[in-house]
Amino acid sequence: MEAAQAPEARGDELLVVNDVKKYFPITRGIIFQKQIGSVQAVDGVSFSVKKGETLGIVGESGCGKSTLARCIVKLLDTTGGGISFDGRDITKLSRTAMRPIRREMTMIFQDPYASLNPRKRVGFIIGEPLEVHNLGSSSEIKMRVQELLEVVGLNPEHYNRFPHEFSGGQRQRIGVARALAVNPKLIVCDEPVSALDVSVQAQILNLLKDLQDDFGLTYIFIAHDLNVVRHISDRVLVMYLGKVVEIASRDLLYAEPKHPYTGALLSAVPIANPALGRKREPIVLEGDVPSPVNPPSACHFHPRCPRFVQGHCDVEEPPLYPFGNGHVAACHYPLERWPMSADEIRRASSPVQSPSSQSREELPA
Amino acid sequence: MALLEVKDLRTSFHTEDGIVGAVDGVSFSLEKGETLGIVGESGSGKSVTCLTIMGLNAKRNTVSSGEALWKGKNLLDMKPRELRDVRGNEISMIFQDPMTSLNPVQTIGNQLIEAVQLHRDVSQRVARARAVELLKAVGIPRAEGRIDDYPHQFSGGMRQRVMIAMALINDPDLLIADEPTTALDVTTQAQIINLMKRLQEDFGSAIIFITHDLGVVAETADDVLVMYAARVVEHADVDQLFGRPQHPYTWGLMGSLPRLETDLDRLIQIPGQPPSLLRPPAGCRFHPRCPHVMEVCKTTVPELVPTQRDPEHLQACHLDEETKDREAAKLLEATMAKAG
Repeated sequence: MEAAQAPEARGDELLVVNDVKKYFPITRGIIFQKQIGSVQAVDGVSFSVKKGETLGIVGESGCGKSTLARCIVKLLDTTGGGISFDGRDITKLSRTAMRPIRREMTMIFQDPYASLNPRKRVGFIIGEPLEVHNLGSSSEIKMRVQELLEVVGLNPEHYNRFPHEFSGGQRQRIGVARALAVNPKLIVCDEPVSALDVSVQAQILNLLKDLQDDFGLTYIFIAHDLNVVRHISDRVLVMYLGKVVEIASRDLLYAEPKHPYTGALLSAVPIANPALGRKREPIVLEGDVPSPVNPPSACHFHPRCPRFVQGHCDVEEPPLYPFGNGHVAACHYPLERWPMSADEIRRASSPVQSPSSQSREELPA
Repeated sequence: MALLEVKDLRTSFHTEDGIVGAVDGVSFSLEKGETLGIVGESGSGKSVTCLTIMGLNAKRNTVSSGEALWKGKNLLDMKPRELRDVRGNEISMIFQDPMTSLNPVQTIGNQLIEAVQLHRDVSQRVARARAVELLKAVGIPRAEGRIDDYPHQFSGGMRQRVMIAMALINDPDLLIADEPTTALDVTTQAQIINLMKRLQEDFGSAIIFITHDLGVVAETADDVLVMYAARVVEHADVDQLFGRPQHPYTWGLMGSLPRLETDLDRLIQIPGQPPSLLRPPAGCRFHPRCPHVMEVCKTTVPELVPTQRDPEHLQACHLDEETKDREAAKLLEATMAKAG
């Protein structure tokens, strides 16, 4: 395992993630456990997030999005690589040293039903982070909590209610209020709206956008819904089986995807417009995401890829090739344009000029 | 005669807190080979409508009225025996959660064979051959080998395919799919939707597709029913519904949807929460959240009536048609990319 290098933060970057890996061991035996393999949940992911920006992370279930999120906020220790937050290397910090930094990065969870303690009152749930970090007397905390309830659009008089007295959307607002309580710089949102109905989802998305404008927050927004990610993000990172396959600004990614996987994801999104939907020909991927225990060789996507070239894609792992304007994609045979029909996609073109050292150095901006 | 004709279906649950009117006067009809989409938020009564048709509500505390005419016979009046002959045979259902709707301690094969042998007097061998055939039809690789696997050995998408195979194994005339793709990833969802469309062409079944995803409805349905708080608020052909929506709730749903094709800085949200069905609002049930609310909306229930332009386009709103056309056009302008 390589030593963690503290990546250099450049100017306005709040978070820099460099070659982060997280492997979960698979063990056998009850008393004498020996490791017989590992799940490579996150395998060498690098990116950075600027202050005030929203980075969307998309991918299918099991691609390592949530593990990555947990590594960033250090709910999980990484197996390798480095994370620097606000200019400080946090990769190897102890729990106590980490504690003051936890104030600056908080998380919103997916399931508004499971992420709130059913036996605590809302006031306590939202105020607990303040108490943990000793941010004020109990009366000050109460004032702050009531202020927060108002900010997220709940009635401050509901201070003494229990979570079960709220609907799904209202509970997610409580989750947002809790994440906001300590005035964080970064909020990692792990599928915050996927359990909600569309109308409630719209309310929460609008709320998150408003809060970003008001408090200058930076978001990492994880979701599997590409429509939602497009709506909220400035830049988007696409993951497949623990690796980054494409990073680009939102407009570039949705207008000119380069990686066939991104293309397939985009074409699989149902369009709420029957006339438009009938016209297009979706690229339907066959099969499921392979197991991260034993991922396919080289490009992990090659067994499902419509542009698969034998002897290249399954032998040589594609680096993140640059396409200008911070757009990078890990594919030897990137898409030339978009949209493309399924037939055109199958006709793979000439590969990107042989991978040189330059592509590695030019990390996503 | 329509394949299925539902007339003024009502279902209420008697709970400790009072009577919950989960379905309140739903009517529609369905022809052979047609797909009906039912959209609405959680608790709007979409699933209960279908469970009532299938006779799957718990007998205790449930009161249903109205008619569900299946090939002319009322499903609601059928004896449990008769109903059993229809269910799983002529009408079958796919449930939302493929993780919990298969029996974890039985092999896939046994569950499929059971479904065949319940309705057909065939040998184990014939039933098994039929099961393999269906597993192949839904695209499970190495079906002969995998038929003896247990549900946990399949991925989510594969399990949903098994559910579809089970639902289709007796060549049903009607397939009710209750949020069949909600628990799945987009790529798997696209696979399942393609599969259902292909199977519909091959088998000619009618489909009722329940979902909260307007995108999925737009891609699959011929006819769409929009439900809000146990009632139908709009019922139209899919192109009409998306091209000229006539109910403020439908507008709200469309505005709430983040879309790939267009840029919207803010979503047009519906304020507030869906009402409790224990004490639904008087008049139009959408009035507390409706931006176009008038005095009449608070007292008088709007009837589900055809628009002047199109007798097939039903809507339940007091607003005059001119205003509705104007609002609909405004919404489409703001949210939809031009088709073309």
